[in-house]
Amino acid sequence: MSEKRVPQKNKTKIKTKIISFMKYLTRSGLDIPFLFLVITILIIGLIMMFSASYPNAYYLHKKDSFYFIKNQLIFAFLGVIAMFGVSYIDYHVFRKFAVPILMTSFVLLILVLLMPAINGVHRWIQLGSFSFQASEITKFAIVLSFAHFINLNLHRMDTFKYGILPYLIILAPTIILLALEPHISCSVIVILLAAGMLFIGGVKLKWFGMVLGAIASALIYLVVFTDKLTYANNRISGWLDPFGSSGVDTWQTRQGLYAIGSGGVLGLGLGNSRQKYLYIPEPQNDFIFSVVCEELGFIGAVIILLLFALLIWRGMLISIRARDKFGMLLGIGLTAQVGLQVILNISVVTNTIPNTGISLPFFSYGGTSLMMLLAQMGIILSISRSSRLEKL
Amino acid sequence: MSKGINIRMQRRSLVVLIVLVFIGFPVLIFRLVNLQIVQGEYLQKMASEQQLTDTKINPKRGTIYDRNMNILAQSASVWTVVLEPAYIDTDQKRELICSGMSEILNIDKEKLLELSKKKSCYNIIKKKVESDIKDKIIEFKNNNKITTGIRLIEDYKRYYPLKNFLAAVLGFVGADSQGLAGIESYYDKELSGEPGRILTARNAIGKEMPFEYEQLVNPKPGHNLKLCIDENIQKFLEIALEEGVRTHNVKNRATGIVMDVNTGEILGMAVKQDFDPNEPFEIYNSEISEQINSLPEEERQKARSEALSQQWRNKAISDVYYPGSVFKMITAAMGFELDVVNEKSSFNCTGSIKPIENARAIGCHKRKGHGMQNFVEALCHSCNPAFITLGLRIGAKNFFDFYKSFGLHNKTNIDLPGESTDLFFNADGSMSSIDLCVASMGQNFGITPIQMITAAAAIANGGKIIQPHIVKEILDENNNIIKKFDVVTKRQAVSEQTAKRVTQMLYENATHGAAKNAYIPGYRVAGKTGTSEKIGLSTKGHKDYISSFCGFAPADNPKLAMLVAFDTPKGGQYYGSIVAAPVFARAMQDILPYFGIEKVYTEEELEKIDTVVPDLLGKNINEAKNIINSLGLKYTVLGTGDKVISQIPDPLNHVPKESTLVLHTDSTSSSEVKVPKFTGYSVQDVKFIASKHGLNINLSGIKLEKSGAISSTQSVPENTVVPKGTVITIGFVHSDSSGD
Repeated sequence: MSEKRVPQKNKTKIKTKIISFMKYLTRSGLDIPFLFLVITILIIGLIMMFSASYPNAYYLHKKDSFYFIKNQLIFAFLGVIAMFGVSYIDYHVFRKFAVPILMTSFVLLILVLLMPAINGVHRWIQLGSFSFQASEITKFAIVLSFAHFINLNLHRMDTFKYGILPYLIILAPTIILLALEPHISCSVIVILLAAGMLFIGGVKLKWFGMVLGAIASALIYLVVFTDKLTYANNRISGWLDPFGSSGVDTWQTRQGLYAIGSGGVLGLGLGNSRQKYLYIPEPQNDFIFSVVCEELGFIGAVIILLLFALLIWRGMLISIRARDKFGMLLGIGLTAQVGLQVILNISVVTNTIPNTGISLPFFSYGGTSLMMLLAQMGIILSISRSSRLEKL
Repeated sequence: MSKGINIRMQRRSLVVLIVLVFIGFPVLIFRLVNLQIVQGEYLQKMASEQQLTDTKINPKRGTIYDRNMNILAQSASVWTVVLEPAYIDTDQKRELICSGMSEILNIDKEKLLELSKKKSCYNIIKKKVESDIKDKIIEFKNNNKITTGIRLIEDYKRYYPLKNFLAAVLGFVGADSQGLAGIESYYDKELSGEPGRILTARNAIGKEMPFEYEQLVNPKPGHNLKLCIDENIQKFLEIALEEGVRTHNVKNRATGIVMDVNTGEILGMAVKQDFDPNEPFEIYNSEISEQINSLPEEERQKARSEALSQQWRNKAISDVYYPGSVFKMITAAMGFELDVVNEKSSFNCTGSIKPIENARAIGCHKRKGHGMQNFVEALCHSCNPAFITLGLRIGAKNFFDFYKSFGLHNKTNIDLPGESTDLFFNADGSMSSIDLCVASMGQNFGITPIQMITAAAAIANGGKIIQPHIVKEILDENNNIIKKFDVVTKRQAVSEQTAKRVTQMLYENATHGAAKNAYIPGYRVAGKTGTSEKIGLSTKGHKDYISSFCGFAPADNPKLAMLVAFDTPKGGQYYGSIVAAPVFARAMQDILPYFGIEKVYTEEELEKIDTVVPDLLGKNINEAKNIINSLGLKYTVLGTGDKVISQIPDPLNHVPKESTLVLHTDSTSSSEVKVPKFTGYSVQDVKFIASKHGLNINLSGIKLEKSGAISSTQSVPENTVVPKGTVITIGFVHSDSSGD
């Protein structure tokens, strides 16, 4: 009898320890639902990344099935630490860094063009064995600087001089540099993020109409009347007919669709994807969601989509109720970045839009990118601490 | 900070939220519904197709046996050599494998190197490799400790150990062991078995996935077939046919069928010239082959394929011919059955007959006419006017009814591919009086040899039309019977009585009549000769003929029927009695005793009965001499030993009395002779020539030595060098038996 009591005592001890730790975490108002969603999605993402990556790891990295997951786990761990760390920082500190980070972004975007091309594109900056995409910094720099400048000029946002011009000056060189990489998908995200933030900041709607019109006509001109955009053009014809024999390389899209279709309603079961066996190129990267669909089926895919939707919903709520306008803009920008990436990535994988390289947050392989993402989630958590949201 | 800005920002933020969550995500879910649920099955199928690699394992094709389980066609293991580039991971290994394989298989090394760099794991580099080469490859793998990169997969190759033997019936198989002709084609499904497969889930570069997806389905071997064909009977038939083709310079091949009249079993079926099913795509007629080679390039291919299909054609079932006078046995049966004629009915032949007014006269083959004759004599004379008269008595309607009930208007449905239908005058069976007249003597309508012999078998077996068939039993891989083909009696064509009466007349015919060249000592043969003009071929007074003979034995209790037909003999003779009847006799005199039908000699025959050569090997020379003397034979001894170490002819050969046996008593003594010309002589002359050259002869096709028979064939061609004492079979024909 007495023997049994000891573990029971231990159990209650552990229980109380966990509760006190949670209390400690939330003491200063950390938003538990958001944290819960981030951690849940991260865990699912890691599991799926492992499942999707091990055939490639096995075949291409000396039969080490854990090659990718090992890296990812390390960065996820560091990322979670970073997230909590950042959540303790008062996010107003970042205002000071807005301009330096923007400058860093420009420097990196120029530097990356001097780096050797990988698969014909200059996207990666290599520092020893450590590498990262310059555009990861850019996205954050745009969100942070826009939040900062819009916050400074909130009353003058409906003017051209303060509402449009400064942002065009930031945006134009960024887009040009991204186009030179080329990195169209990131340009699209940056443009959409910028537009979204300016929209919330109070820019007159007519400007959006004008800019949208200009972009649309320029794109139509380039695609229809010149072959300047053959790179993108090919992707579009491949998009329209992924199973066709247009000669356009639609291998990746096609294999992704096979995987999604193979999943059916219930999926083949975790770990049972067949398409990940070197059919889908780099299944651990942009096309990881097709493996998710194949293994977990329609039901699993929808659950993951719902989790993402809830995350965005919660993130937006935290931001809208933020203590001040800077926090609101920053939070919305960071949340929207995750939302846009998820929607664009899955749109690509399901061939809803033409194929461009957008990774799936929390799922796709990429240590630095994951770490940055988690750190950004930390900023949202930091915002949540002072947010006027009903705490759970 | 105004409240307005605050509200605007909140409102616009909500717009962004709604766009993302309530527009973006539902679109994605809608797409997933479409892809995973609506198109799911289709996409899954497409995915499976690329993921699963299906390697076929060929099953072993069934063996074909004759009725005594002698092997006629058999599949033996050969090997497919497969290069597996996916497993060649070092340049050193690549070099080793490619140079090794290039040497063993005699393939260009550069080509192999190129193949070895492909992204796949299955490249066939050589098919149908025999086991000696396979052993070399295994040795190479062992010596170099290679386990992957080169692989051997078992396959099968069809062998026909007896080469040309029975080729037209057996047919042959194609490169993938699929039956393309003959039994191989007709019973392809039974022989083929079911292929096995190795179903492997593969990744994009062709390596097998490491997990659970490999599945092996063992191949099911094909069934074996046991034919009704008897290897020995077939051999006797082929030898006799070949001799006839050679002697009479037959231009368009000959065919022969031996059938059990009571069961419908085909014991022998041959076509000469034939082909070797081991190499069916060669042209075996050198004349045609030369002709094709002299053609311009672009016409050669077409001519070649025509020649090949001609070569493979089973004349016994696929070629339609006018049966000619052979058919008179059927006409006679009709006459008896309708009671419009009997044996004593008399016919007057004046050399020609005008069947109806204003019609052209139809001549008899004997210009001066046969004069007054009874019906039996008319059949023995094969008299055309008599049969035309009979035909008119039978009438067109009755003729066609009997034609049908003898099974001539339907395929026999023998179990062989490519059987032809008959060519009757009009499809509805109607015929003019002239048609009827010529039809009565077997002209101007076409049937196949198999139809003719099936009808003749009905005369022999008491009027029953029996289904002819080639395959006796279908056996499983362990030769247990799966299916047996029983006797199928289709109908009674004529009464038993009628059949017996016709048989009796045919027996008379083969003994005294036009068919007496088919006589076989010790056996009562019934039969009818035929000489028919070839269908549609009479150019400028220069006619081509088909010479045939159809008969059966023994006449008092028929067992076996045989039909032989020679298409376009160009050796000067074309009458069935001269060309075909002796071939019938030559084959049947071997077949009947082999089949277990005992000889019953007449006293006349007993005087000249053949003697069976005794086995003298190892016997003391004096003992041997005594045995020889006691049998009424002569001998020549060569050598100085005191024991017989070899003898010519071999034991169990049949030789006439007073033949000379050559005995060797040591191995040094050998004596060979050139075979002289034996044809065109009387029996006495032939015997003289034979003894002069130290050869023995076996006489075929003559009933009485004193009759005016002339030798027409010899089993060993002139100028062949043979050992002394060799038995040469000489075929005789009666000079007075022109007729047809």
